[in-house]
Amino acid sequence: MTEHDPEQLNVAPGAPHDSLFSETIAYVIGLALALLLTGLSFWVASTSALWGPGVAVGLVVLAIAQMGVHLVFFLHITSGPDNANNVLALAFGVLIVFLVMVGTIWIMAHLAANMGPMAEMMNLQTQH
Amino acid sequence: MSPILGKLTWSAIPFEEPIPLITSIVVIVALAAVAIWITKIKAWPYLWHEYITSTDHKRIGIMYIVLGLAMLVRGFADAIMMRAHQFLAIGPHQGYLNPEHYDQIFSAHGTIMIFFVAMPLVIGFMNFVVPLQLGVRDVAFPTMNNVSFWLSASGALLVNLSLFLGEFARTGWLAFPPLSEKAFSPGVGVDYYLVALQISGVGTVLTGVNFVTTILKIRAPGMSYLRMPVFCWTALASNLLIIAAFPVLTATLAMLMLDRYLGFHFFTNDGGGNSMLYMNLIWVWGHPEVYILVLPAFGIYSEVVSTFSGKPLFGYRSMVFATLAICILSFTVWLHHFFTMGAGADVNAFFGIASMLIGIPTGVKIYNWLFTMYGGRVRFNVPMYYTIGFMLTFVLGGLTGVLLAIPPVDFIVHNSLFLVAHFHNVIIPGVVFAIMAGYTYWFPKAFGFTLDERLGKAVFWCWFIGFNLAFMPSYLLGFWGGTRRMQHISDPSWRPWLGIELVGAFVIGFGVVLMVVQLVYSIRTRDQRRDLTGDPWDGRTLEWLTLSPPPHYNFAVLPDVHGEEAYWHRKQEAIERDALIAEPDYQPIEMPLNTPVGVICAFFASICGFAVIWYIWWLAIVGLIGAFAVFVWYAWRDEHEHIIPVEEVIANARERRRVRMENLHQLSQST
Amino acid sequence: MSNSEAAAIGLTHRGSEDTGLGQRGPQSKSIVVPYGFWLFVLSDMVLFSALFATYASLVHATDGGPVTSQLFDRTTVAIETLALLISSFICGLAMITAKRKNLLWTQIWLLLTGLTGFIFLLIELTEFVGMIRIGAGPQRSAFLSSFFTLVGCHGAHVTAGLMWIGTMMAQIWAKGFREDILRRLLCLSVFWHALDIIWVAIFTIVYLIGTLP
Repeated sequence: MTEHDPEQLNVAPGAPHDSLFSETIAYVIGLALALLLTGLSFWVASTSALWGPGVAVGLVVLAIAQMGVHLVFFLHITSGPDNANNVLALAFGVLIVFLVMVGTIWIMAHLAANMGPMAEMMNLQTQH
Repeated sequence: MSPILGKLTWSAIPFEEPIPLITSIVVIVALAAVAIWITKIKAWPYLWHEYITSTDHKRIGIMYIVLGLAMLVRGFADAIMMRAHQFLAIGPHQGYLNPEHYDQIFSAHGTIMIFFVAMPLVIGFMNFVVPLQLGVRDVAFPTMNNVSFWLSASGALLVNLSLFLGEFARTGWLAFPPLSEKAFSPGVGVDYYLVALQISGVGTVLTGVNFVTTILKIRAPGMSYLRMPVFCWTALASNLLIIAAFPVLTATLAMLMLDRYLGFHFFTNDGGGNSMLYMNLIWVWGHPEVYILVLPAFGIYSEVVSTFSGKPLFGYRSMVFATLAICILSFTVWLHHFFTMGAGADVNAFFGIASMLIGIPTGVKIYNWLFTMYGGRVRFNVPMYYTIGFMLTFVLGGLTGVLLAIPPVDFIVHNSLFLVAHFHNVIIPGVVFAIMAGYTYWFPKAFGFTLDERLGKAVFWCWFIGFNLAFMPSYLLGFWGGTRRMQHISDPSWRPWLGIELVGAFVIGFGVVLMVVQLVYSIRTRDQRRDLTGDPWDGRTLEWLTLSPPPHYNFAVLPDVHGEEAYWHRKQEAIERDALIAEPDYQPIEMPLNTPVGVICAFFASICGFAVIWYIWWLAIVGLIGAFAVFVWYAWRDEHEHIIPVEEVIANARERRRVRMENLHQLSQST
Repeated sequence: MSNSEAAAIGLTHRGSEDTGLGQRGPQSKSIVVPYGFWLFVLSDMVLFSALFATYASLVHATDGGPVTSQLFDRTTVAIETLALLISSFICGLAMITAKRKNLLWTQIWLLLTGLTGFIFLLIELTEFVGMIRIGAGPQRSAFLSSFFTLVGCHGAHVTAGLMWIGTMMAQIWAKGFREDILRRLLCLSVFWHALDIIWVAIFTIVYLIGTLP
């Protein structure tokens, strides 16, 4: 159970695996990109230069990009064969998150449209 | 309300209600008697070292199964009470249970059966079997495994405590708001439910993490993914679902607790709360939960069918694919539990179609099992009885499920006795029969002797006949308008059907009694049925390579795996050459130490939980600090493992080889 | 015995030709432990997704009470975001020095990670207290319940992370860079980075999208 993995076919998620310089640079680049994306997000949210409904979409895209930056530069999730299990686990997690959020929002939106405000309905029901 | 005792007063003890009072007294006396007996035979040190603090997956598995079987008795007692009452409460008669009491009984029945019977039993089997089948020594995180078990036990303790102190929830096994909100359930019942489930839920998520890591990262050399036994694949899928679904349960129950304890407005009628949101979230968890239970059950059937047909499982890759398909699809169907809540035709159609689709991979599995039997030499041992019984009855339950997946049909039979029949029709043949089959199948591996066959068959017939009598009439009653959870039946023409169902319940009850008899009798006469070779059924997977019971470390040297059915090929080669493989190079073995962390942590969790339920805030803080302190103390230890000296390893291994060599020709029943 | 003999009786670790993936045998603890922790972090993400879904469903259920635009201040959020992001970065530096077993710098970076994290928490607590003071506490409406729970849950995780950082600093000081302590540090850094990922979602959805005109 404590045998070594000689062929380096697996890498622990989050484990850095390079020289001091390249490891540090990875974090610096990650920080720079994240700061850039954060700044962009705040700007996009307050500017009138973009078409209204597109702003929310743009913010979501920027957020996903920044999550990607975190995953690659801080958590060292790459597409190499040694990372396969980590990526698969992440993909499964993302799928579930997507199903839960999109499913709930879709269902609740339809319920809201069909079933009306809960408080009013309860009032109606409690008045015999 | 006092600052020292919170809501707890003498009136918490049910002096006015004879049934809980007498039951509590009987249980307390019985537990005390057991404790005194253990003390008398001086078995506490043995229990402490060999079981309670054990990090051995086999021991932990046995403890889970003991917990599950014990809680089966409690859950079944609730069932008999309900059936008896319903039979008596027809027309002008009122039965013997008032609605407040009846509601607690059906709520306790469902909660206990799902969370403290089915889950522990399934997890127990995965615990015992998976590392052995993977050809390794233990799971990825043995200490965490121990903690998981004790947290589940803590939850079970709290639920049962509600019988003696206070009350249980009256809101069904899922505690829907607004009924479960403070305004409509001001007592401690719902709090018992919430706290118990949150505590055991933590344990379950940790189990999920443990087993996915084990199956993906810790297997014998040569055991690639497509050489794993099917039971391990179903365990993988089930544990992936645990990781994916249980956090949603934790979040949802936490939100209900925030509503009740801190006056939040997630699901309340006022303040903008939306109780439909609860329904949605709880079923996002609830549907995967039933697949968490049934997938390992299907895995057990796969093992049993191939072993007792003397053939490799038909369609291994399609089984794997079907398992993973069910895993993913189970997250796309949850709305079928509330078609009638009003999301509309579009949404209902999507989820209805998805619910029907999920029947397809299940059908694939059934065909694979049938094709495995076809052309094989089927041996009708007890596990095979359960498997065939399952195939006959589960298909019916599955078909009624497909029927329910059609929204217009569901609008008519939602929450009726038809539904009750359906889900018992899939859970009992699906999960319970598999557990009984697995219990018989792996009992000799765990304890070194087989259970008595004749009594085993009698138990099967009681379950099979009893189940059919107890639930088939409910399909009809559902069509005739029977709603679930009714404390009183107004239509006297249902009396004969309810009578049949009551008889069925008693037949199952007799089966449960026979199980106990079988166990006691089998222990008493165990020398007649010793499992000397470690392979009593001519098995095909690696757990049968070890003697029964296996040594603490399972295998002296991890077996090299060269194909599917690793053990079968090795066995056939040995029989052909009339020699075992050459002795490998033995090494001393490192195994994890025992740990009291689990039981102590669960102790503090129980204290904290009890305190939260009764509003004893100082005690809750004490419990929380205690649990955290145990954690830190554990993190501070320097020794994690002990070494098993190579002499011991060699001695055990040579004994195993000697026994195997002697019995080489008995091992295979097909030569 | 020769290699071919050993191979003939199945004693080598070279599996046969078919079904290739995953034949290497059990992985070492330095792989297994972080992978298990990664799975736990993913389960935590699912927990947050349930809270996000709840927030999205209840964001307009204000019961006539305060709404997002009245309550959220983007400058405060920007400062919080910077604090947490820098904290994440510094945590990465701590991992680099820890791998090289440099006690002094690891402790310094860990301390700074904790401090910046604590600044984040302080700002958040101030925001919460401020909201409660003006009657916009979690008991006011479903929207506020879901806000406080989602953001508060994240804050609770940050708090737990801070306690963990403190514990790790104590353990490194007392026991040095032992294998298992390095593994725990790796898990801590995964946890800390994951918290920042969740914060990205929170500031985007709750604070930015939530206060769009």
